[in-house]
Amino acid sequence: MEKVIDLTPVARPKASQPWARKSPKFIASAAFASIIPAAITLAFIATAGLDFMAALIAIFLPLQVIAAALVGVSVYGRRGILEGLLVVATIFFSSFVFVLLGSVIWSVVSNGAAAISPSFIFQNNYYIQPKTSLEYGGVGHAILGSLLIVGASTLVTVPLGLATAVYLTETQGKSKGIIRTLLQAMAGLPSVVSGLFIYAMFIASGITTYAGWTGSLALIPLMLPTVARVTEESLRLVPAELRNGALALGAPAWRAFVQVTLPAAKSGIVTAVLLGVARVIGETAPLVLTTFAADRTNLNLFSGQMGSLPTYLFNYIAFGFDESIKRSWGAALVILIIVAILFISARVASGTRTKARK
Amino acid sequence: MTVNADSTQRRKLATKPFAKADRIFFGVARAAAYSSFVIIALILIFLIGRAIPAFQTQGIIDFAFGSTWDASASPQKFQLGPMLWGSVLISLIGVVIAIPLSISIAYFIEFMAPKVLAKAVTTIVDLLAAIPSIVLGLWGAFVFSPIAAGWAKMLNQSFGWIPIFDNPEQNFLRSPFIAGIVVAVMIVPIIASITREIFSKMDRDIINAALALGGNRESTLRKVILPTASGGIVGGILLGLGRALGETVAVLYVLNISFDINWGQVLQARGGSVASMIISKFGEANPSEISALMAAGLVLFMFTLVINSIASYIVAKAQPWRK
Repeated sequence: MEKVIDLTPVARPKASQPWARKSPKFIASAAFASIIPAAITLAFIATAGLDFMAALIAIFLPLQVIAAALVGVSVYGRRGILEGLLVVATIFFSSFVFVLLGSVIWSVVSNGAAAISPSFIFQNNYYIQPKTSLEYGGVGHAILGSLLIVGASTLVTVPLGLATAVYLTETQGKSKGIIRTLLQAMAGLPSVVSGLFIYAMFIASGITTYAGWTGSLALIPLMLPTVARVTEESLRLVPAELRNGALALGAPAWRAFVQVTLPAAKSGIVTAVLLGVARVIGETAPLVLTTFAADRTNLNLFSGQMGSLPTYLFNYIAFGFDESIKRSWGAALVILIIVAILFISARVASGTRTKARK
Repeated sequence: MTVNADSTQRRKLATKPFAKADRIFFGVARAAAYSSFVIIALILIFLIGRAIPAFQTQGIIDFAFGSTWDASASPQKFQLGPMLWGSVLISLIGVVIAIPLSISIAYFIEFMAPKVLAKAVTTIVDLLAAIPSIVLGLWGAFVFSPIAAGWAKMLNQSFGWIPIFDNPEQNFLRSPFIAGIVVAVMIVPIIASITREIFSKMDRDIINAALALGGNRESTLRKVILPTASGGIVGGILLGLGRALGETVAVLYVLNISFDINWGQVLQARGGSVASMIISKFGEANPSEISALMAAGLVLFMFTLVINSIASYIVAKAQPWRK
């Protein structure tokens, strides 16, 4: 009988990591340290009617720092003071970011939900004044415009990004380092510069007036780095054995790529496309400079100004009336929903990849 | 696919017959890769072409450092100084605020949180990165500004004797301080995700060794984790800085753009930002002003290009596993 050797790595037993063990005393004191300051602060707010922010900064934080330092001292001696500080600071700063994000999402959802209705989503904005009540008019034309503009630039960017990623992973090209640096630099390209560039190239030189396709062009430099980088990452994850196997069987490089590598990296490429679209769907500055805005539905990318969600938002904030601000919250919610859908689909797509590889 | 049944026949090396198709395949890939080079070159060429008239009439030094912007004067004066400094100031505020936040989040994800929570937090940070800047601008203008103005007032009351927190007018809205925080919200995910990746690829044995030698969290972070990860973190911070410099619409709504230069009184309601200034002036600009705006865009582009190139070089050095 053949002897089977189990080569799967064994998890380190807990006993081999004595530093990771926590005594019951530590757990108890840590629990107390996290409850008592909060309780005292809440009591202060309830009885003295303090402002929440003031209470948080003046009472909760000092108390929490002292409590954590005390726990640290009880475990590590004097060195523990800094330890306590670190734990409190980490958790405080992290939660601060969550509060900010929560505030963004909550304000958009609550204000946007008040503005959104079927007519807001399906009607266009023709005949609508900034002060018109919200029953009339909406962002229908802007949704279509955004989809068209972003769709057109996706059609150009995805093949370009894919081929760039091929160059970065499948070839022995000498300028890979430079290309990667350029892509990184392009990822940091200010969006307004991209808009100025297309404006200078096509509109200022009189080749065209404001139109949808110039907007699509202005989005390409912003979308390309994301698509190329994520695609590169997913191509890199394809095991070299698959590729080499295909080549060893005599397949030409392009067939090995199209029939072996590409299918293996499919979900990663889908993720790349979704993230790229999510990156540019809310870009405002380039569209303000290149497509401008329109209140009518315009489905022709090649003639006439075109409405889009970000420019709609941009204009309606600028009007500054109550109704127009409400409309801009509604448009913001629509953008956020689109981004969320793209983002979640990207997660799902990359999730299926990791599952398949297990 | 056809298989040659006669396996005894010696097969020829297959490189030759495919050479043409493969040459096309690799050629397309190379062309696409060089397209990013072409795009950057085109941006430079067209911006420079449109900016030359402005440079000629204004003079490069005056354009970059002077502090008047007046399209109705004659001769017209377009000088960028306050905006350039304002962009730098806001980005610095944003980076200073974002550094502790993002390193904390990265540390929390990698070294403190249980696995499930860490995954959730990572998703949340990525989601934050996906929020379009105009949505953040809307939030900043109508929700966050009043709150942050309260914070600014507190700062001013407690530390008003420090010159940078001085504000005699007691108007705390639309200041570089608030714009800086909004920018910080935008760059936290950038710095955090790079820092997190560097942390996650660190050799766990070094960290465990430090802990086994009696180190605690704080000493391990200070003496082992941060020194090892510092290169990548610096690169991430520079990438964040580049993004902050180019931030356009979010800053537009939370900042009072003023050519009365604000050297560092961050709570006062005047500041500058090249990108936001471009978008706010563009609508009613005459041709010579457009040329000046192109020049401003060119300056902004060069600025961010240099910072981003340095940053991506550092990040690439710090992530050898990406090779």
